[in-house]
Amino acid sequence: MSLLMLRRAGVYLFLSIAAFLSVFPFYWMAVGATNKSTEIVTGRMSPGDYLFTNFQSLLAQVDLLRIFGNSFFIAIVSTILTLAVSSLAGYGFEIFRSRVRERIFQLLLLLLSIPFAALMVPLFVMISRAQLTNTFTAVILPTIASIFIVFYFRQATKAFPGELRDAARVDGLKEWQIFLFVYLPTMRSTYAAATIIVFMGAWNNYLWPLIVLQTADNKTITLVISTLTAAYTPDYGVILLTTVLATLPTLVIFFVLQRQFVQGMLGAVK
Amino acid sequence: MSSLSLKGIRKSYGHLEVIKGVDLDIQSKEFVVFVGPSGCGKSTLLRMIAGLEHITSGDLEIGGTRMNDVEPSRRGIAMVFQTYALYPHMTVRENMGFALRFARVPRDEIARQVQQAARILALEPLLDRYPKELSGGQRQRVAIGRAIVRNPEVFLFDEPLSNLDAELRVHMRIEIARLHKELQTTIIYVTHDQVEAMTLADKIVVLRDGVIEQTGKPLELYEDPANQFVAGFIGSPKMNFMAAAVTASGNGSVTLSLANQGGASLSVPLSGPLPAPGEKLVLGVRPEHFGPPGAGSVDIALEIDVAEHLGSISYLYANTARGEQLVIERDEGARTGAGDTLSVSIDPAHAYLFDGAGQRLR
Repeated sequence: MSLLMLRRAGVYLFLSIAAFLSVFPFYWMAVGATNKSTEIVTGRMSPGDYLFTNFQSLLAQVDLLRIFGNSFFIAIVSTILTLAVSSLAGYGFEIFRSRVRERIFQLLLLLLSIPFAALMVPLFVMISRAQLTNTFTAVILPTIASIFIVFYFRQATKAFPGELRDAARVDGLKEWQIFLFVYLPTMRSTYAAATIIVFMGAWNNYLWPLIVLQTADNKTITLVISTLTAAYTPDYGVILLTTVLATLPTLVIFFVLQRQFVQGMLGAVK
Repeated sequence: MSSLSLKGIRKSYGHLEVIKGVDLDIQSKEFVVFVGPSGCGKSTLLRMIAGLEHITSGDLEIGGTRMNDVEPSRRGIAMVFQTYALYPHMTVRENMGFALRFARVPRDEIARQVQQAARILALEPLLDRYPKELSGGQRQRVAIGRAIVRNPEVFLFDEPLSNLDAELRVHMRIEIARLHKELQTTIIYVTHDQVEAMTLADKIVVLRDGVIEQTGKPLELYEDPANQFVAGFIGSPKMNFMAAAVTASGNGSVTLSLANQGGASLSVPLSGPLPAPGEKLVLGVRPEHFGPPGAGSVDIALEIDVAEHLGSISYLYANTARGEQLVIERDEGARTGAGDTLSVSIDPAHAYLFDGAGQRLR
């Protein structure tokens, strides 16, 4: 066997292990959703016939439609508002020159390094003083001005041709019209990538909703999964089924926007 | 169609002044080309006319109205950009009608005007394509079409052909000339390519460092440059410059000693004030104005370094004994090559003289 083949075999082995480590949890989750809790605990790895029973058990415990409704509402509204506000800010930072622009931007980037745990308490105090606790507004509001998304859009805007903006100005468009009718459609792959990032973040958000959402009818899917695990004898079949259901929306969005996501990550303007 | 007037136009970025007082009158239906090296301010000046750059001081009038603070879309101009600047998410038809849509022109009127512009530019089969499905030349035609649809008083072109290959550039140059004839509008065209300037312009404006060096008809600039910069910039290959010193002057002529020829002497007629003996001058001779040996009043011996044979003519890059490089245009040059020696003569009637500051002596 030549050295080249040996090296190639090594690479394949490494990639196979990496692929297994990535895919196995998903396989285990999907298979677990079809098995009885006791079978999961004893290490059964093949699909079972308990899916329907698990589903019935889940429906008996939670108002699934309402919980999904809550999660979707928060994730969708949060995504739309975050993209609107943060892309506008990123565009503004890149397009309009000012003496303090870079200083303000550096300050924003510095704020990125502050962990959420440090902001949690003051944020909760603010929200409760505004009498917003246990509302969806309380969950959505702090996520709208996302520094990371502002940064992402500013970087992407560097690839937005300045002459397009000039052409639009000559064509009689006002600044907001340029943003809406020229920038936004031109940068749609950037928006697609940002949609996935923001939607996933909002959908999977756990800590902040846990703090501000207090009644059961306001809970999101992530909070429900956590409640299920906290039972005295957790039913792993039900938990894994809920996890599968909670994974589906982000999976669907990712596959729908996959091509634009890759383009957006590469910063392509076509 | 409108005339334009620029009076004392200046542009500064902080302390840096890039346009240093431009005065220029452009007649209605005139094709004016701004030409100059990179960074001379020609594009900035065009953008100031378009309203894309603020005018620091001075007055810009289009059709007799002061336009300094008027929105770009209300100046009666349309602009064609170097990178075409077509909206990538719109078809050719939508790109061309976009400005009219925002001017609240009725839909059927937009369709009519787009169709008309498409016919002029032979774009009809491409109307439903997207910019990414077009070649460079087609994109540029769409960009021009978009400008035509707005029915402007003044067309502004910012280096529109520099992204095209050589063959297409020649083709589009002819298209633009034809278009000017057909539309009878005022055109201001920016380029760094003096061949484009010479072939298209009614009037060329040569700029350097934010200042107009000379304005005139193409052949005027070629035959009668105001200074050494214009003489060197207009004409391709550029004019040859040789160091010379005045040995005698009087009776409407000046006698020069050529430094590169070990003091060979040449007498050049001048109608203006004569320089004093001893003064250092620059002698300019265009590549096509060197004659065969003995035909002029002084012969120069050269050794050919590189020969470019273009078929009908050849350019010989040759060195003098002192290592100065001169470019000679020859129509029988195919017989000479690198390493050959050559002798050419300078005809005083085709010699240009410039003083130490680069100003022309006539």
